[in-house]
Amino acid sequence: MDEVRPEPIEQIRQRHEGEWLLIKVTSHDKNGLPKEGILLGHFPDRKAAWDATEVIDGEVYVFFAGPTIPEGWEAVLHGWVSL
Amino acid sequence: MDGFRFDLSAPHIVVPVRITGAQRVRWLNLILDTGSTSTVIDELVALRLGYNLESAPTVSVTTVSGTSQASIIAVRQIFAFGIAVDEFPVLVMPLPTQLRADGLLGLDFLRRRNLFCNFDKGILLTLPFSRSFLHRLALSAQIFSAL
Repeated sequence: MDEVRPEPIEQIRQRHEGEWLLIKVTSHDKNGLPKEGILLGHFPDRKAAWDATEVIDGEVYVFFAGPTIPEGWEAVLHGWVSL
Repeated sequence: MDGFRFDLSAPHIVVPVRITGAQRVRWLNLILDTGSTSTVIDELVALRLGYNLESAPTVSVTTVSGTSQASIIAVRQIFAFGIAVDEFPVLVMPLPTQLRADGLLGLDFLRRRNLFCNFDKGILLTLPFSRSFLHRLALSAQIFSAL
């Protein structure tokens, strides 16, 4: 069986544009951010990606490879908390 | 930490954040939001980090579109911009599926450092508060290099 080798996370991101990615982090850059990893899965939505993390231990990175909001949408954030 | 590079073409500044939860360590992308008083993560993410939301206290959250309820949990550790904070309170609420990030990095985290943002080059610096003239001078050099 072939050994899966870590690759740059940016490379994985480009290969799976438009999908939610689940990556096992194998190394970090000098700022401590994920640099390389092994792709464990790619999914059409957030729920599927996070559900898949249930059975995985270790340092895992889950993110969407693409814009944070779909084209044609705007996001107005902000929130205030009252206890 | 060196300057954090962000995507100038993106609609938001997205920050990779490591959260150590009740059972697991996960990296997720949060949107930097200086308008949010608190850091927020999606409900599903909190569940997958191992938190039981049924026993978590709730707070009222006011947004530009109305008021809603959010659970509040203390994550074991949050790490971003080279800064790690233990037992950090985080709001938990369901986020719209259209938002392809897992939450917001709010002022409660950001105010632990000074922020300098270069929107021309896409560089964000988080610098410690200055303690002396020499320290200020050293910080100024970092800001200058990011200009």
